[in-house]
Amino acid sequence: MHTLSASELSHKFKTGHYTAQEIVQHFLSRIEKLDPHIGAFLEVYHSRVLQQAQALDEKKKRGEPLGKLAAIPIALKDNIHVKGERTTCASTFLRDYTAPFSATVTDLLEKEDALILGKTNLDEFAMGSSVEHSAFQQTFNPWNPQCTPGGSSGGSAAAVAARLCPIALGSDTGGSIRQPASFCGTLGFKPTYGRVSRFGLVAFASSLDQIGPFTNYPEDLSLCMEVLSQYCEKDSTSVKAEHNDFSSTHANSIKGKTLGVPYHLLKELPVELQENFKASLQKFEEIGVSIQEIQCPTLRYAVAIYYILATAEASTNLARFDGIRYGTRSEKAHTLEQVYDYSKEEGFGKEVKRRILLGTYVLSSGYQEAYYKKAQKVRALMIEEFRTQFQHCDAIAMPVTPSTAFELGSVKDGLEMYLADTYTIPANLAGLPAISLPSGFDKEGKPLAIQLLGPQMHDQEVCQFAYHFCKKTNEPQILPQLCT
Amino acid sequence: MPPLQREDLVTLTHLSRIQCQEEEIPPLLQDLQSILQYVDLLQEVDTSHVEPCNHVLANVFNAQREDTVGPCLARESLLSNAPDHTEGMIKVPPILKSTP
Repeated sequence: MHTLSASELSHKFKTGHYTAQEIVQHFLSRIEKLDPHIGAFLEVYHSRVLQQAQALDEKKKRGEPLGKLAAIPIALKDNIHVKGERTTCASTFLRDYTAPFSATVTDLLEKEDALILGKTNLDEFAMGSSVEHSAFQQTFNPWNPQCTPGGSSGGSAAAVAARLCPIALGSDTGGSIRQPASFCGTLGFKPTYGRVSRFGLVAFASSLDQIGPFTNYPEDLSLCMEVLSQYCEKDSTSVKAEHNDFSSTHANSIKGKTLGVPYHLLKELPVELQENFKASLQKFEEIGVSIQEIQCPTLRYAVAIYYILATAEASTNLARFDGIRYGTRSEKAHTLEQVYDYSKEEGFGKEVKRRILLGTYVLSSGYQEAYYKKAQKVRALMIEEFRTQFQHCDAIAMPVTPSTAFELGSVKDGLEMYLADTYTIPANLAGLPAISLPSGFDKEGKPLAIQLLGPQMHDQEVCQFAYHFCKKTNEPQILPQLCT
Repeated sequence: MPPLQREDLVTLTHLSRIQCQEEEIPPLLQDLQSILQYVDLLQEVDTSHVEPCNHVLANVFNAQREDTVGPCLARESLLSNAPDHTEGMIKVPPILKSTP
């Protein structure tokens, strides 16, 4: 059952092969058996999801119309609200926080009869690339438990890779969906900025954050995007898309389309990754896509821009965690000042503190012009550069990461970890839709991937490229040995 | 840019209301210095004629809805997340000294 696509699973439910309760029981027992070795879930909604499944089975019995995601178990990154359930952001600060409302994405999924399985692990407040910054537990890569699943949405990526659920949602601020997808060998999609509502997502960097799905099959990605891509009046950055017909268009031919490749970015990539990348381009050529070299000189500034803007926005967004209205209040605080000081000291981990301090610095009087404004200007140049490049090509191909999944504990230096985001950050800075597609395995059996970026609001086209690439590679669905 | 000094970092911890233990300061200072040194890379870009990016999407403006009354969250559900509350209000330590 767990090797079926979400679309097939839902179809089998609708045609009476499985009940919703059987489907949920199957995935719950997989989680029970396998998750102790993977650590993908922070919380599993046993009774809630079984109740949902029972209600859905009854709905079906009554002959009522069933939603597009009927009986599909879906996991959510634990920075997305489900009303009445905890949202911890993997932070001590929010360990007892109960969401008073559901995120728009949660509502949209449930409206289409999806079954919410539970919450997945992340780096605290989505700040990190390895889930090593979760305050609660480590998530392990299902393909190699010595290695990170990537981050920050590492729990969602590992859960989908291990077939603990067919779909999971993550959030992507600088690559937090695509990098773990590439490390775990799943598809991971960051939509255009504003395409999916962020109402009910705990904000990290508001000009960069986007919610998106992880799946094992391209058709599931389209199905999920069709449901999620809706205008939301509760999110002031939500955009109205003219078309949301992902599922009916994903198989449209991409023959004759052009893929731009900034070859100059490949120079520092290890040979094995370079070869795999070129082999993937070859597959696109075989489909009838032409490859064209492009130049993107501003991309070398991406990491520098990002770590100014993302930390500046984070320092502003996280100021609300002051121990007054919600979260943990330090017990040793006796004055108001101490409530702020001690609650943040006790509640936040090292990486979160580092980013808040850095963000406070780049926004502080005397430095704002040199750092924050400068970064916004170089960002404007990058957006313009992408706009120009997309006049010559339909999508851009890039690596996702400069390495495969690295060993846990092997990256000690903060800056070194940041530099690994060099290929994923540009899509966030320019608000572009971008996807990580599995492209095989390295000699050690770790997943490899290729990234595609499209122009703003061309999410469907990116999904078309993804669909045809996945059909072309047509790799038998190999499961991690740990999870068979 | 001049390198970040220890006293700058102490000021930052105060500005951001994040207490740091004495032993946390040296490694944190080193981390922030190396990141700031790296982001100085941007200074080589000529941006004299560039307007800063204020919104990543073109043609998107402030979104404002009609000023109509809609459902809002129950006070109890919001208060239930507050670390301390009393009589429908969030409770904080006193901010004024009581007069003898």
